[in-house]
Amino acid sequence: MKKKLDLSYLASLGISVVLAFLIGALILAVSGHHPGHAYAAMFNGAFKGMRHLGDVLEYAMVLCICGLACDLGSRVGIFNVGGEGQLLLGAIAACQIGVWLDGASPWLVFPLAALTAIAVGGLYALIPGVLKVKLKVDEVITTIMLNTIAASICQFLAKGPWKNANKNIVAGTQQLSARYWFGGLVRGSNLSTAIFFAAIMALLVWYVMQKTSRGFEMKITGQNPRFARFSGLKTDQIVILCMTISGAMCGLVGMFRVYGAEHLFKSSISNDYYFEGLMVAMIAQYQPVATILLSLFFAVLKIGAQGMELSAGVPNQIYLIIQTVIIFFMAAERGIFRSIQARRAAKAAKARLEGGSSHV
Amino acid sequence: MSDILKSIFSVGTFHQMLRSATPVALAAMGGSLTEHAGIMNIGMDGMILMGAFFAVWGSFLFQSAAAGILVILLMGVIVGLFFALLVVKFESDEFIIGCALNTFALGLTSYLSRSIFGAAGTKGNPALPSLHIPFLSKIPLLGALLNDHSLLVYVTWILAVLLWLFVYKTPYGFWLRASGEKPDTLRTAGISPVKMKWLASVLCGVFCGLAGAHLSLGQLSGTFAENMSNSRGYIAFACVIFAAADPAKAYLAALMFGFFDAIGLRLQDYISSDLTNTIPYLITIVMMVYVVVHSQRKKKAAGKPLPAKL
Repeated sequence: MKKKLDLSYLASLGISVVLAFLIGALILAVSGHHPGHAYAAMFNGAFKGMRHLGDVLEYAMVLCICGLACDLGSRVGIFNVGGEGQLLLGAIAACQIGVWLDGASPWLVFPLAALTAIAVGGLYALIPGVLKVKLKVDEVITTIMLNTIAASICQFLAKGPWKNANKNIVAGTQQLSARYWFGGLVRGSNLSTAIFFAAIMALLVWYVMQKTSRGFEMKITGQNPRFARFSGLKTDQIVILCMTISGAMCGLVGMFRVYGAEHLFKSSISNDYYFEGLMVAMIAQYQPVATILLSLFFAVLKIGAQGMELSAGVPNQIYLIIQTVIIFFMAAERGIFRSIQARRAAKAAKARLEGGSSHV
Repeated sequence: MSDILKSIFSVGTFHQMLRSATPVALAAMGGSLTEHAGIMNIGMDGMILMGAFFAVWGSFLFQSAAAGILVILLMGVIVGLFFALLVVKFESDEFIIGCALNTFALGLTSYLSRSIFGAAGTKGNPALPSLHIPFLSKIPLLGALLNDHSLLVYVTWILAVLLWLFVYKTPYGFWLRASGEKPDTLRTAGISPVKMKWLASVLCGVFCGLAGAHLSLGQLSGTFAENMSNSRGYIAFACVIFAAADPAKAYLAALMFGFFDAIGLRLQDYISSDLTNTIPYLITIVMMVYVVVHSQRKKKAAGKPLPAKL
């Protein structure tokens, strides 16, 4: 049963991806680019040279943790759309810890920065979590509002009190000393040892969600909260806890971006990266394993698209279009089948009716 | 301190309030229709963004703002049909489609903007005119407040009244409300609730398109900037809930947003604009909390069970 389901999921994913690339090719052609050249440039952008592969892995890490954070919330029935804000605040707070403690041992700075990112991200997710559970305020709107607020606060801090002394950097914090950076793995790419920590985190989330009784409790809480409550689960606590952990994960991604790739806080820390992770989680239908695998695929697309912009002059946003078209197809797939079946059934019934009437 | 207060409660603030409220109000009016039809539409942000882009594109292509508006009306219908196809016909998850639509709009508009206008974007295309009504300028305070707005500000007032009449005083409005509340009863009466949902989606697409047109062709006089909707669609969604999907009340809720947005702009002389930018979003959260707490208190007083989800 399980196997069959997976197969049909893979089939629908495959068809959706192919169709999305066809629509992407159409848009490319209409806007005056050669689709074949553009896709070839995209492939080269992702796979040509170790540097690009390193970037792919780094971005896959970001997508994967963001996607898993979304999985975690949706498993218990709360949609964390606010990961972007949690990520940004976690990043800037962790960065500032490194700046303040400049000169201290890395063994002190690393854990402290990570804990700060976890705390800030978690607390920022706690607000909508508590509002949702205690007051039943829709979390989608509150988290999105909190995103915009967090982005503004970070802008304020990066332009004002925590601004870099360098006048050429309009909005950015002080740079971290090199001894606090995660070690680079591939020269010239964003890939750093942070990916090992992310991998451990991803495995942990997968294990807890899929293999433990806690994970099962979360599943019941999300699918049938009344039943969960009657079986003695403290559903309110579970939901708030999952939301907080989800926020903490996003905060940590922010710290990874600062300590691994950018080495200071500026707006390129995240350019709606959480939303792209959220899209991946949606395509993966909130399944952790699928989220981890698909984040690799979409990281290839994203980095490839950036390479394509440089080499072929095609705006990289074609990547977002392809990604969302996949979602449209996958979300509508069941409905499309149903309507085809209904039409077929109606036709058959009509034929039967006409056939029947000729007998009479 | 008195300087700040004086600057906040000046005519200019309230003038700005009407300006800022208009795009949110238009989207919220459209959203109130889908809300009545029982569709949770969080894709409005994407619809606004597409409206903002295609209005500028139409204005650029035909070198006339009127053509831009025509393009928007067409685009609104297409986007509404597309949304209805996925959500109503194929019964896809509204939340997923809404989120994906917003990201799709961000990708599409940025892609097209860069493809057509280059990385620098586009500026100074034919914009919507501001209206100067002579007899209004003779009235002291009111004249300064109501005069010299972009065209769509006035159109929005008319649309708010018309939409309120449509929803509450015509049979179509009655059916529309029934299609969300009691679809089976409506079906028994011989009206298709599915058709009413399609109608609501298409109208919502048009209204959101106009909201975008006001942003790009009205407020920024023919300029498109990437992601210029800036979560206004979500604020509009909050306004819809705050107004219990009444289009006229949704306009008032949007006015409140506009007021705090205008105050934020005034305060920029005293505090960093990055901090004042957060005010409308904070207010939206407060608004959401207020609605829920208020409705729960009402429900408790009536002794009814609480709804599972807002």
